[in-house]
Amino acid sequence: MKTRIKEYRARYNITQEKLAETVGVRRETIIFLEQGKYNPSLKLAHNVARALNTTIDEIFIMDD
Amino acid sequence: MKTKRFFLAVAITALVITVILISLRAYYVAIALVAGTLIMGYRELWSLVRRREMPVIDERVRENVGKSVRNGFIFLVMALAFLMLPFSTVLIGSGSSMVHVLGGLFVSAALAYLLSYLFYDRVRPGLGEKGLKIFCISLLTAGISLAVFVISVVLHNGLSGLLGVEEPVFFVIAVIVSPAGMAVGIVGSLAIFTKGLFNKAP
Repeated sequence: MKTRIKEYRARYNITQEKLAETVGVRRETIIFLEQGKYNPSLKLAHNVARALNTTIDEIFIMDD
Repeated sequence: MKTKRFFLAVAITALVITVILISLRAYYVAIALVAGTLIMGYRELWSLVRRREMPVIDERVRENVGKSVRNGFIFLVMALAFLMLPFSTVLIGSGSSMVHVLGGLFVSAALAYLLSYLFYDRVRPGLGEKGLKIFCISLLTAGISLAVFVISVVLHNGLSGLLGVEEPVFFVIAVIVSPAGMAVGIVGSLAIFTKGLFNKAP
């Protein structure tokens, strides 16, 4: 799975720490999400997408 | 929130049991219990000392804690069964031995939990697919070597007893091949675990 979280964070100038605080997770979880090393729950994916003013399918791209 | 309450409940329960154990003069088990609890809750304690607040417990941490508690429990049950099968009469017959074994088991189970948690939290994301595969192969090598050692000892003793002569093949396997395989497996696993622990650590 690939993500565009880093790209969206840069667009809105949000740090990993700030995003983690907004979503209610650890900074490490955001790092692993950005690296595609953790598959989030639907709730977390929704929260991340909402925090970045976008939709789930815009930031989480599944490998076919 | 539930997990924070769970950790608080674990700490209070451990404290109460420790006081009971000290009153029963089972000092060794009490020390082992305290050590085990400290190992299990090192992350929370460290966060309390450094930032004076509990760490954020998100779904990833909850998932990892759940898997690690399960692994620690499985380890405890397997270790207890392994010890009880050959030494049941010794353990039940001697109270002090049993207390020492139980104390050691508490600490070992806590260490199994800690290693398991570190694996899920740091090592697995740090290792790539290839690294994870090599880690699995190393662990399997160590496990298979241990099984081969036990089987070889039984077969060597059985065949030697039946034939009345020293059986050489299983003796060599048990004394040279299995320990070598175990050493390679354990050293390889530890090396890859350490690499994963410090590799790309966030």
